[in-house]
Amino acid sequence: MIEDIIGKAKLWKKGIPYEGFSAGQKFNHHWGRTITESDNLLFSTLTLSFVPLYFNRAYARAHGHPDIVINPQLIFNVTLGLSVEDCSEGLGGPFLGVYDLVYHRHAYPGVTLTASSTTIETRHSASNPANGIVTWVTEGHDQDGNLLISFRRSNLGHRREGSAL
Amino acid sequence: MSAELSLTGAENYFEDFEVGAVIEHYRGKTITNLENVLITNMVMNTAQGHFNEDRMSRSPWGKILSYGGVNFSMVLGLASQDCCENAIQELGLNNIRLTKSVHHGDTIYAYSEVLEKSDSDREDAGVVTFRHYGVNQNREMVAQIDRKVLLKRRPAARRLSSHAPRAR
Repeated sequence: MIEDIIGKAKLWKKGIPYEGFSAGQKFNHHWGRTITESDNLLFSTLTLSFVPLYFNRAYARAHGHPDIVINPQLIFNVTLGLSVEDCSEGLGGPFLGVYDLVYHRHAYPGVTLTASSTTIETRHSASNPANGIVTWVTEGHDQDGNLLISFRRSNLGHRREGSAL
Repeated sequence: MSAELSLTGAENYFEDFEVGAVIEHYRGKTITNLENVLITNMVMNTAQGHFNEDRMSRSPWGKILSYGGVNFSMVLGLASQDCCENAIQELGLNNIRLTKSVHHGDTIYAYSEVLEKSDSDREDAGVVTFRHYGVNQNREMVAQIDRKVLLKRRPAARRLSSHAPRAR
C-alpha cells in the first residue's frame, strides 16, 4: 500500500543547480522571520556569547537601548538561513566563506527580518572542473526596510545537476 | 551606570588589547544536536545535510555535517567573554573561512589574535579587530573569522580599582 504511494509520488525538488545561476539575478527569499527574545536568549546562551547587551535588559537600557540587543550572529544566521533554498541548497557543495559582512544597525526583539540576494559571479573551479563556485551578495532588512546586515558569500557546487545536500 | 560596571570583567577594555597578542580562550564546547540541529532549524536553514541522518549516512561523510554558521558562531561565542564582554557594538565580520567539516561529537576551542586597534568617533570607545580561530579536539583548524568590535575604554571608576590581577 505505502509502496504504491511511494511509487507514484512525484518529488517536488528544492534548490537550484549550478547551471541555474547567472550574474545579476536577484532573489527575494521566502518566509521572513520575526526574531523573538527567546530566540535571542537561546542562541546567545547556546553559543556562550557572554555579552550582557544580548541577555540583560537593564544593562542594555543603561547603555541607551530600548531593550536587549539581538545578537548580531543570530541576524546573520537567520539571513543566511532564509537564503539557503534559493542559493545553496541545490548546489550540493559546502559554504566556502563570507566576506565584508557589515552589521548596519542594532535590532531588538520583535524585529521581522527578510532576506534578499543578488548573484554576482559564477565560475568553474580551477582545481576541479567538475565543480563550480557561485557568489552572492545577501542583505537582511527589517520590517521598515532598514538594512540590518549585508555580506558576500560563496558556495561550491557540482556542475550539472548534483545531489542536493 | 556604576552598578553595571560590576557585571563585566575589568581586564578586557579597549586598553587591555595589544596588537599581536594571542589569547587562548578557557572553555571549549562539544557540538551536538542541540547546537547544530536546533540552531540550523531555528534560523530556517533548509539544507538537510545538517539535520537528516538517514540521507547523510549514504553520503561521502556518512553522518550529519554541522552547519558552518553554527561552527563559526560557536567560535565567536567562545571568544566573546574575553574579547567582547565590554563591547558597545559588534561592527562586522570578514574573511570567514570554514576549513574543516565538523560533526556531532567534535569539540571546538577558540583562540584570538589582536589584529588592529584604532580610535573611534566616540571618546569612550575604540575599535579592535580580532582574528578568531576555531580548533577541534585534534588541534585542526575548523574556522577562521575576523571580527571588528567597538569596545569601551576603561571607565574612570575602574582605573584605580584594586581588583586582584587575573591568574594566568
